[in-house]
Amino acid sequence: MRRKTNELNHAGFRRTAGDRIFDSLNTVFFLLYLLLCLFPFYYLFINTISNNDLVARGAINFWPVGLTLSNYAALKSVTDLGTAFLVTLGRTVIGTATMVVVSAFAGYLVTKKEMWNRKFFYRMLVITMYFNAGLIPTYLNIKMLGLTDTFWVYIIPALVMPFNIILVKTYIESIPPDLEESALIDGAGYMTIFSKIIVPLSMPILATIAIFGAVGHWNSFVDSLIYNQTAIQLHTLQHVLYTYLNKTSNLAAMMNAGADATAAAQAAQSALNNKVIKYTISMVTILPILLVYPFMTRYFQKGIMLGAVKG
Amino acid sequence: MNDTLAQKLPPQHRTADRTYYLLRIAALFAMALMFFPDVSPAKVTILINKSVSLFSAGISYSGLISDSARPLRLEWVQASTYQILHYGSLTAVLGSLLAGACGCMSLGSLRLKRLGNIFGMIGGGMLMAGMGMTYLAYRQFAAIVEKADRIAATLPDAVYIYAGLGLLFVLLSVGAQGVLPRAEKTDRYEMKPKYRLFLMFLPIIVLSFVFAYLPLVGWRYAFYDYQPGGTLSAETFAGFKYFQMLFQNESTRNDMIRVLRNTLVMSGLGIATSWVPLVIAILMAEIRSRFFLRSVQTIITIPNFISWVLVYAVALAMFNTDGFFNGFLGLLGIQSDTNYLMGNDNIWLKMLAWGMWKGVGWSSIIYVAAITGIDVSLYEAATVDGAGRFQKMRYVTLPGLMPTYTVLLLLAVAAILSNGMDQYYVFQNAQNTSTIEVLDLYVYNIGIGEGTSIPLSTIVGMFKTIISVMLLFIANHVSKWTRGESIV
Repeated sequence: MRRKTNELNHAGFRRTAGDRIFDSLNTVFFLLYLLLCLFPFYYLFINTISNNDLVARGAINFWPVGLTLSNYAALKSVTDLGTAFLVTLGRTVIGTATMVVVSAFAGYLVTKKEMWNRKFFYRMLVITMYFNAGLIPTYLNIKMLGLTDTFWVYIIPALVMPFNIILVKTYIESIPPDLEESALIDGAGYMTIFSKIIVPLSMPILATIAIFGAVGHWNSFVDSLIYNQTAIQLHTLQHVLYTYLNKTSNLAAMMNAGADATAAAQAAQSALNNKVIKYTISMVTILPILLVYPFMTRYFQKGIMLGAVKG
Repeated sequence: MNDTLAQKLPPQHRTADRTYYLLRIAALFAMALMFFPDVSPAKVTILINKSVSLFSAGISYSGLISDSARPLRLEWVQASTYQILHYGSLTAVLGSLLAGACGCMSLGSLRLKRLGNIFGMIGGGMLMAGMGMTYLAYRQFAAIVEKADRIAATLPDAVYIYAGLGLLFVLLSVGAQGVLPRAEKTDRYEMKPKYRLFLMFLPIIVLSFVFAYLPLVGWRYAFYDYQPGGTLSAETFAGFKYFQMLFQNESTRNDMIRVLRNTLVMSGLGIATSWVPLVIAILMAEIRSRFFLRSVQTIITIPNFISWVLVYAVALAMFNTDGFFNGFLGLLGIQSDTNYLMGNDNIWLKMLAWGMWKGVGWSSIIYVAAITGIDVSLYEAATVDGAGRFQKMRYVTLPGLMPTYTVLLLLAVAAILSNGMDQYYVFQNAQNTSTIEVLDLYVYNIGIGEGTSIPLSTIVGMFKTIISVMLLFIANHVSKWTRGESIV
């Protein structure tokens, strides 16, 4: 659709000098913008693969020098990073999967006009997007339910996402009803229709909310900070990263103390320092997002369009 | 078929239905109650952790004895007593669930109802049996003479409540069973679609209720001298003390003014720059190369999908003492080791800059999506009328984006108090707290962070919610009034 707009917008018009200047400036502007977005990541990356002594002196600015992967190998000895990775991976997979199933099911059910008091319950659900009781009451509620210091605090409160339910509902309503009706006549129950007809047809929107949900889970750290403050083994990757970023003590010494002989030897070769360790941990946390990102973009576009329909 | 069945229902069904109303409410009550530690019947001695609800007492034995390791080791108390308590709680939990099942089945056909009644009888019986076992455990605790003060056995009121509920379930389901006629052979276990759908939706309603509505009950903490781990009781009731403190206590009031100023300035800056993504989207639509356009769209949205912690990591790498910026200045021959993240100056602008670095790309993609929605014939007509490229931008694209812009602007105004705490929390440090602390961060800082005052934090959060809802309401009306469409 946007292709059309673009082509018609530009179709058959002669480029004047003004156009040329505008186009060049426009290109330069966006090149600068791209640089602004990418350079920080590039800078982090080249510093993690360069000679650590040069990094410590701040000599690595535009390209890597003295390539080495030893920093990544040295992360082995940061044991809480491994735990945090597993916790975060776990919450991302379990949290996203359950959220998508709940959203799909709820989104389907609220399209069923014959449901008892459907409108009332749907409104109850939607209203919750616009208010919250505040941090402390929410915290005390979670605590009262016995969810603090558990893994499940990442999953259960995030099961019902009204906005995602609205997205699914809107999408299902756009599916021609004939399919469902004929299935009903054939005697299929709601569950059968849901799993055999609705879910396969709603895959695009489900993929969209899954990706948004997964990114949210991967990036979240406030829930870890608030609900699992004392349960260190349950801290998420972002939370652990934040803790490391703020550490001023000698991280390298700490790592060497816990490391085996080879890691210690590696560390001695090119001295680890706080800066490098912080950069490397950051890089490890960013990488999964950067790696899957190109594959996600087309779903984002869809998600926005659907959101725009509602908005 | 079901509807015709309903019309034929004899009057005794209606009597049964009235019974069922009561039973369903009671079942809901029993099931909800078992998640609240405050009304746990299992708390028969102070040796049992205060945060153990009936549900957790029944599910997890280790949770039940978590605070009793020492008494158990020293054998003041017997493990068997705890086991009785544990299984008693489990029985009660299962009983409540059965009663709940009875409530659900009562929405079905006659045959399903009659089966449900049996469930209700068993469930009620199990509840009473569970409370009986709890009472037994209580008696065993109370019988221990030495260390009686350390055990302090009490029989919680909740035991009576649950036992009463159990009795109620038995009576109601026996009554309903007596009133309802026998099911015919042809009757099936079935339920009307409207109730079936409702029951399928019920878990979602419950979750939404528990995590969105139930916390509102916590607003009562605003009226108590509540300390972490403390209790709400008549002694700790403080009335409007903390409300007065908020407005009359000099330092608290100054804090509030400062925090509100930070919040409004930062939101204001955000609103003042809200046109930037719009302009970028218009410029993006003018990109000719498809490949370049795709790259731009993909790359400028990346920062939106990394967490604030990672933005902070990036900020450190760029602007810390030994970061890129100082290194770059060094290359230019300027010696500098300023830590640009530490100080207090220009914090608002810095936060705006990071917010924009993260968010502008994504916001402009929203406008790009809106541009694709503009009717193509408008461009054609403009071309026919001899409009040039800039005129089309000005007179077709820009007006076409205004509805989206208005909606987003109204939503931003409604959310003026909600900046979220992530960004400000990660960038917060000892030197900049006074200017970086926005309302959300302040609520965290005084509630959970440093100077803990739960009542005060609750009040501030409460006001924030109320004002935000009012603002949204107003924004919605403005939208209806100006555009003829609501935004929420």
